[in-house]
Formats: sequence, structure tokens, C-alpha cells
Amino acid sequence: MSEITLGARRPVIVRRRRWRIPVTAIPYLFLAPATLWYAAFLVYPMLQSLYVSFFDWDGLSPTMTFVGLENYINIFAVDEVARLALWNNILWTIGALALPTFFGLMLALALNRRAPASTLFRTIFYSPAVLPLVAVGLIWAWMYNPHFGVVNVTLKAVGLRSWANGWLSNYEMALPATFVTFIWSHVGFPMIFYLAGLQAISKDYYEAATIDGANAFQRFRHVTMPGLAETHVIVLSLAVINGFKVFDLVYTMTYGGPGRSTQVLGTWMYFQTFQYYHAGYGSALAWVIAAIVLVIAIPYIRRMSRG
Amino acid sequence: MRGLKIFAATALAGFVAFSGGAEAKDTLRLMTVFDAPTVKLWEPVLAAYNAANPDVEVKMETVAGSGAAVYPDVLRTSMASGDPPDVFFMWGGEIAGPFIKAGQVEPLDAYYEKYGWEKVVAPWTIDRITRDGHKYGVPFHARGMGLWYRVDLFEKYGLSEPKTYDDLANICSTFKKDGIYCASFGGKFGWQTMRLLDYFTETTCGPEEHDKLNMLQSSWNQPCVVAAYDRMAQWVKDGWLVPDFLNVAPNDARMPVYSGDAAMVFEGGWFEGVLKSDEQPLENYKFFLPPTGHTPVRYSAFPEQWMIPTSSKHKDQAAALINWMTIADTQKQYPEAFTASATIGVESDCAVAPRDCEWKKLLTSDSATYPPTDQAFTKELIDGFFEVQDGVVAGKITPADAAAQMQAKAEAWKAKQKS
Repeated sequence: MSEITLGARRPVIVRRRRWRIPVTAIPYLFLAPATLWYAAFLVYPMLQSLYVSFFDWDGLSPTMTFVGLENYINIFAVDEVARLALWNNILWTIGALALPTFFGLMLALALNRRAPASTLFRTIFYSPAVLPLVAVGLIWAWMYNPHFGVVNVTLKAVGLRSWANGWLSNYEMALPATFVTFIWSHVGFPMIFYLAGLQAISKDYYEAATIDGANAFQRFRHVTMPGLAETHVIVLSLAVINGFKVFDLVYTMTYGGPGRSTQVLGTWMYFQTFQYYHAGYGSALAWVIAAIVLVIAIPYIRRMSRG
Repeated sequence: MRGLKIFAATALAGFVAFSGGAEAKDTLRLMTVFDAPTVKLWEPVLAAYNAANPDVEVKMETVAGSGAAVYPDVLRTSMASGDPPDVFFMWGGEIAGPFIKAGQVEPLDAYYEKYGWEKVVAPWTIDRITRDGHKYGVPFHARGMGLWYRVDLFEKYGLSEPKTYDDLANICSTFKKDGIYCASFGGKFGWQTMRLLDYFTETTCGPEEHDKLNMLQSSWNQPCVVAAYDRMAQWVKDGWLVPDFLNVAPNDARMPVYSGDAAMVFEGGWFEGVLKSDEQPLENYKFFLPPTGHTPVRYSAFPEQWMIPTSSKHKDQAAALINWMTIADTQKQYPEAFTASATIGVESDCAVAPRDCEWKKLLTSDSATYPPTDQAFTKELIDGFFEVQDGVVAGKITPADAAAQMQAKAEAWKAKQKS
């Protein structure tokens, strides 16, 4: 860009220095809007929550009392419900690792073929995953109703009256019954991941294995499973993360009861923060959940980055 | 080009006019827990207010269906985010406590003087909402609760309304023999089961001691409390209650009564409206106050109130709205919207709402009441109460242990307050 100065005897060419963006900075410019968004709506609230976790605060008053690590100490040393909730989360996570993952893999194997209705079945099995968990929880709570719920009505109708139960009212059954709903609503996620993983495995490996005399199980053991190694990392990491983040189903189906028997860290954090007005303690609980999830998520993220 | 100019001028004029109108009108946000049928009944009420006050537009926001379990969370979030409603619904007692303690609720003493509300609403409702000598709300509902029963089932088995606790026990025993559950409860959230336990505590401890227990001025670890828990355990053990109810939603507890599998349900005066909307034959349902064996026979009752947040920008307009909703002249024009009114002199139409009419007579008479425990305790303490209550119902905790555990929870809570 240049300009010609008028009125002078000889035109004087003024060269304006052109401002260039260094090429290496361009990706950061593109990332900047998302980073700002992320910083404003995720990082800042997280840091604010970390700050609050060192205070005794009701979440409403202008005054906050600094208590240092007391909230964190209370979670592990004083609060019996928090410890029960942590234990429930561990049980839930073990279940989340095993059952939806296993069923998802089995469904993916069954549907990973060109059958006439495979697309329809994929849609059917994945559809619960797109439903809001609050709606899922309410529907299943009705299904479990001891008086008119479809579960007990069906059991009675087929002569299994003795199996009919107060599913969500029973201290021992409430968490497993809620977990069945979790399996139903979450089996679609691993199925989709495994289907994608299966389709990435070259057919050549299967042909070579068949020529070498491998039977179906051996092909599964030595071709399919190693071929799904990356998918396993994703699926299992997400299962653990989801296991510790569980909230919606427990909240809508049992409200943490009967008694406190189905409290998990997510619901206990909610109760402390929003119902008991202990925003500091609730924030500390949130950070305990976050720390556990991060410890599990970091290897997953590293693996993903390498991939 | 000329056409374009005319269009631009018209659009600008319209925009200016619209902006001017919007600036002139203040929006008052009214937050409630009203369900859809109630919202419908309130539409003409608010429309009339808006028509009579062209400088104000009242808009209702509702958080229906959750009861005291979720509504305070929504309210708290709106207050914490600096965007509270101008007028909000609140139950009486401790549910409002955290908001008042945090300085989020405007004391209305000056407005009480201005509008003379002390002479407008039932005195006992004002007593219940007064805290540390200040009035933070204006009662608009006076709610009483009792045992609603199926008239056809009572008639079929030759039963009549009980006069003593033993009569009630005999009724339950008769129903049990005939394969009908005496009562149905929804234990999810704890508060419906609490109504029965509160009744037992009133009968076994008596009015004075019950009040002291609610104020934590007396130990929960005492024989009369053990006896109350024991009655609860006995009712479950004897099969008088529809089984497995601990995680049944309170509204779903009505189903066994509608189907005739259970004879009674512990509900308030609002149950008449529920029966209507659930298309149940109203003449088949009556209520009685559970007999306590004490004089006077007290029953569970509570007010509901309107409050104004401290951070509302329209406090005077909010108070004027509350006054308009509270006075008898307004309420008489919309009797269906103002059932269970706490306002003196507002009679229900006994032909339209016969049960509400009965409740109204009771609640504005000098009959004695006790507060439900979830309005006497903070949410944190009442959840501890519910935990013990659930344990007794499930047979996990003996009545004696329950009383001891409840006292331990009360002491822990008091210690926390001191620290």
C-alpha cells in the first residue's frame, strides 16, 4: 500500500510499513475466541469454586469465613454420608466399566455386519442415549412403582409375584435398580464407539487369520480385541468419568434415598450446596469429584493426543 | 426511494413508540409453585391487575410439582445471580429461614403498617411467619392437613370417622382384614410420611412437648418419641400402609386410594382441587382431623406467604401487588383462585368447593394447630429427620435407636450453629 502526496513538485512516495501477523500466531488467533469462551465459562467458575471451597459460605450472604482445608478434611474424616457417597460412586463406576461396556461390545459385534435391519437396530439401541436423563429417570421411576409400575405388574402377570419388589424403596435394591436404568440409557455410547472401531479393522486380517485356521473365537481374541485397543481406552475412560459424574438418574429416581442409601458424590454436592446452603463444602466436594475424574481422564487425554 | 423513506420513518416511529412503551411499563415478576390448573385460575386475576395498573405488567413464573424440595433451589439461584423475582411464594417456617438469614428478604413491617395487613389475615398465620420480631412475608394461604378417606369404603365396612386413636387403629385393622390398606403414602422426599409421624408425635407427646421438640427445646431421646416411632413401625409391620412406599412420589400415593386398594391419604385442603383435576367423584371423599387424645385436638397446618426480595427494584409496586392479592375484595371476585385463603372474611362457596369450605371454617376459627416438622426444622436437619424416619419404616432402625439418633442429629445441628 502506498500514497502519493499531492501538491509537491515531485511526487513523494510514503511507504507505510505493512503490519503482518506472524504465521505461527495464526492458529492461536483462530483458537482465541474458543479459549476466551472456555476461560470465561469454565476456567473462571472452576477457579472461583476452588476459592470458595476454602470458605464457610452459605452461597447467599456477602460474608464468607475462611476455613482453610477444613471442608476437605470433613469430607474424609467427619462426613459419613460423603464416605457412603464415595463408596456408591466406586460401585457405580465398577458397574459402568463392566456392564454397559460389555453389552455395547456385544451389540457392536452383532450389528457390525450387512444385515437388512442392522441400521434400524443400531438406531434402536442408540436411541436411549439421546434422551434427557431426567426424563429417563422419571419414566423408569414409574416403571419401578411398586403398585402400578410395569416391572411388578409384568412379574405378577407371569407368575413371578414373589419377585415383585419395592425396587427403589428397598435399601439394598435401590442403587442396583437405578444402575439398570443407567445401563439401558448408556449402552448406546460404547456400541457406537465399538462399531466405529470394528469398521476400522481391515478385513485382510480376518482373511489371513481364517486362512491360518483361526476359529471365530481366535479371530475375536487375536484380531478384533487388539484392533479395538484405542477404542477400549476411550470407552473405559469415559465409563469411569461418567461413573463418577453420575447425578441425574439418582436425583430423579431416588433423591438419594431411602435414607441416604443411594447418595453419590454428585447428589451430595448438590444437597450441600443448594439445599443446605453450604456452598464452600459443596465446592470442596465438587473438587474431590473433579480430582478423581482428572486422575482418570489424564491418561485418556494423553492417549488421545498421541493418537 | 420515497417509499423507502416512508418505510424507514414508519419503522423508526414504531420503534420509538415501542421503546417508549416498554420503558413506561415496569415488569413485576411473581414466582410461584402453582401447577398448570392453578396458573389457569390465576390468569384472570393477573390480567385484571395489569388492566387496572397500566404502568405495571405482572408476569407469573412457576416451578410446579417439586414441592419444598426443589423450589427453594430455583429461588436461591435467581437470588445468587442477582436476578430475583419481585414477589415470590414461600412456605412458612424454616424453609424461608436461609433466605432471611442471608439478608435476601425484605422486612415488611413498614408495609404492614401502611396496608394494615394485621387486621386482614388470620392472626395465627402471621405468628407463624414472624421471625425475630419482624414480618418478612404476608400469609395468603392457610393450609390444614388431615386424613382424607373413601366414603364408599367406610360405608361398606360400617365404619365412621374416629374419635380416638384406638378408633383409628380399629378402622385400619378392619380394612387390613378385608384386604384393603388403611392408608397410602409416598415416601420420596420424606415430607408425606412425616405427616403421619408428626401426628403420632402429637398423640404420644402431647401438644406442649411436641412444640418443644420442634423448637429443639426438649430431647428427642425420650419415651414419648420412642412411642411415636413405635407406632410408625407398627403401622408398617401390621400392613396398614401400602407397602414399599419409601421411594414412591407423593402424588403417586393417591393411585391406590383412587383404585380402592387403600382407604385413606394424608393430604391438605388442596386435595379437593386435585380430586377435581383427577376426575374423581368428590362426594366419595371426605376428611377428618386425626384424633390425638389431647384437648384441644390440634392438627397440622401451615401458612404460605408472599415475600419480596431485598434486591427487587420495585419493592413499593411489589407491596401494592401483594396488598391487592391479599384484600378480601379481590379474593371474593376470584374464589377459585383464592381457595384456602388466609384472608379474614373470604368464605369459600360451599356449593362449589364443599371441602375447602370446611377447611376454611376450621382454619379461621380458634382451632389449634401444630407446624409440620419440615417447617420447624431447617432443610439440613429435616433431611436427618427423614433419614431416621426412613430407617424406622424400613425396619433398619429400632424406635429406641431412632429417638437416640434424632437427638444426636439435633445436638450436632445445634453445635454447628454455635460454631
